[in-house]
Amino acid sequence: MSTDDLIETFRAQLRDDPDVSSAVAAIRALLGFLKQDRGETIQGLRNSLRDAIDTLSRVDSSVAVSSGGELFLRFISLTSLEYSDYSKCKEIMIERGEIFLAKVSLSRNKIAKLCHPFVRDGARILTHAYSRVVLRVLEAAVEAKKRFSVYVTESQPDGAGQKMAKALRKLNIPVTVILDAAVGYIMEKVDLVLVGAEGVVESGGIINKIGTNQIAVCAKAQNKPFYVVAESFKFVRLFPLNQQDVPDRFKYKADTLKTSQNLTEEHPWIDYTSPSLITLLFTDLGVLTPSAVSDELIKLYL
Amino acid sequence: MPGAAERGSELSEQIEAFAARLRRGGERPRSEDTARQTLSLLRKIVGNGRWSRAGELMDLIRTEGQRMTAAQPSETTVGNMVRRVLKVIREEYGRLHGRSEESDQQESLHKLLTSGGLSEDFRTPYPSLRANVIEAINEMLIELEGTTDNIAMQALEHIHSNEVIMTIGYSRTVEAFLKEAARKRKFQVIVAECAPFCQGHEMAVRLSKENIETTVMSDAAIFAVMSRVNKVIIGTKTILANGALIAVSGTHTLALAAKHHSTPLIVCAPMFKLSPQFPNEEDSFHKFVSPQEVLPFTEGEILAKINVHCPVFDYVPPELITLFISNIGGNAPSYIYRLMSELYHPDDYEL
Repeated sequence: MSTDDLIETFRAQLRDDPDVSSAVAAIRALLGFLKQDRGETIQGLRNSLRDAIDTLSRVDSSVAVSSGGELFLRFISLTSLEYSDYSKCKEIMIERGEIFLAKVSLSRNKIAKLCHPFVRDGARILTHAYSRVVLRVLEAAVEAKKRFSVYVTESQPDGAGQKMAKALRKLNIPVTVILDAAVGYIMEKVDLVLVGAEGVVESGGIINKIGTNQIAVCAKAQNKPFYVVAESFKFVRLFPLNQQDVPDRFKYKADTLKTSQNLTEEHPWIDYTSPSLITLLFTDLGVLTPSAVSDELIKLYL
Repeated sequence: MPGAAERGSELSEQIEAFAARLRRGGERPRSEDTARQTLSLLRKIVGNGRWSRAGELMDLIRTEGQRMTAAQPSETTVGNMVRRVLKVIREEYGRLHGRSEESDQQESLHKLLTSGGLSEDFRTPYPSLRANVIEAINEMLIELEGTTDNIAMQALEHIHSNEVIMTIGYSRTVEAFLKEAARKRKFQVIVAECAPFCQGHEMAVRLSKENIETTVMSDAAIFAVMSRVNKVIIGTKTILANGALIAVSGTHTLALAAKHHSTPLIVCAPMFKLSPQFPNEEDSFHKFVSPQEVLPFTEGEILAKINVHCPVFDYVPPELITLFISNIGGNAPSYIYRLMSELYHPDDYEL
């Protein structure tokens, strides 16, 4: 499969289903790449897959694509350890890949089921930017006949908060869009903060749209619970100790990385929130405290 | 068979009686006794109940468990024991089914990637399952007997000479803990009386019988005295999945005062008190009793004009706790998730 075909498959998925996560689209594209691969060895396969993942990261530089790719590579390694015959191995890989994709598509519903009991009747929720998982959770809470109201930050520079507000209004939830700068002002009125994540790092912290760290700090200062909802394929093998440690390739959009002369003049799109500010993480592996996240990653990668 | 039917209805009666006793509340039941009674009832269900496959047994236990926990939601030990037995059944079934000892029962990223199909369905009948499960329950009962002693054995590591220890209310686990330490060390204890039931008085009497220098003080004086205290040691009713506590009313105040003075807060509690629930619906943990203790009925005139509440329990968040001492050793609150995964299976968190 050529590079262009791969990019086209990836883009087509995102176009056809705006609800799908970019990590899942990446994994699906890589599975298609795997099916059409003509190589004869595991090493050859891994190398071509690494190149494919690089190509995809150049199209969409988000953390999710990187973690999805890393997971797929790990999946290949684990499966190849069990079977020495390459063609049988490839069959099993394709079969398991389909099962994995099927399971992963159910993950949002699992998370919604775990998280909606935490939304109490009459709660006022603060959320940040546009997250499909948060939307699913709030949808589940509405289905459970809970009544609550939501504050959404506008989330500049792309105004993603407006998109979230529109989606929430369709569900008949009372929404107020607030300025990013108004988070400190609104925090005393809020009962809980609920955000999604683009990536969950080894320490249990999260990487999310710029502005999340601010919200977390304000929530901690006012003793409000800060909940994160994320699917398990977003767990990534990074351990940033501060904002500088997050690699540049995640901070900026793919086009900016290619064309910009001086990155220090660009505005980053993501920030890192440390685990001490997070109360609980809701994932399809269950409700986890931040310390449990590294346990999960160790189980996978060791 | 008339024998089986008779046994079946007698068992049903016993469960009903147990549930009724829980519902009534009344005198403070010892958590260990509740756990023991629950396990005995569950053992009877396993022994005498009508089931042939593991799946049927698990459904049976789950139904009875739901009935018992619905009677008194604040008695979380009942639910915990039911979940332990369910986990035991899964393990025994797995062992008989020939699956390896690896803990592939838990959800994990690893399992997501490598598994090739659906999960267990527990349909194969095994005749020795009944005996195995009953034996495992007997082991649990023996473990239950030894929990207080196991906790007390760790006392000497934590209490040093000439220390001032503070506690609140009356906890039998803490009493055993302090008595064990008093055999070799000399220290003082300050007991907060824990109004309105004032169980702290009973604790103080029992401690002073062992020649421990004890002082009783009112709950209002907790903050004032905290600066002189070296350690706070308390018991609890329940440990929640995030490491928080449901403890006797007044514990949150004590914990906040301890945090303010950077005094370590140690919780002595056996593992059967660990519950896989999170503190989301606060209503389910609250138990209110007659406000007679707070404002007696003799104050009839005022009663018509005011609302009086008498909650029994308090929520203590995990950040205020330093250490959990249980029958399996000392652990930090952030480690609770790991202990939980060893005791219960994720599918059983919701009974």
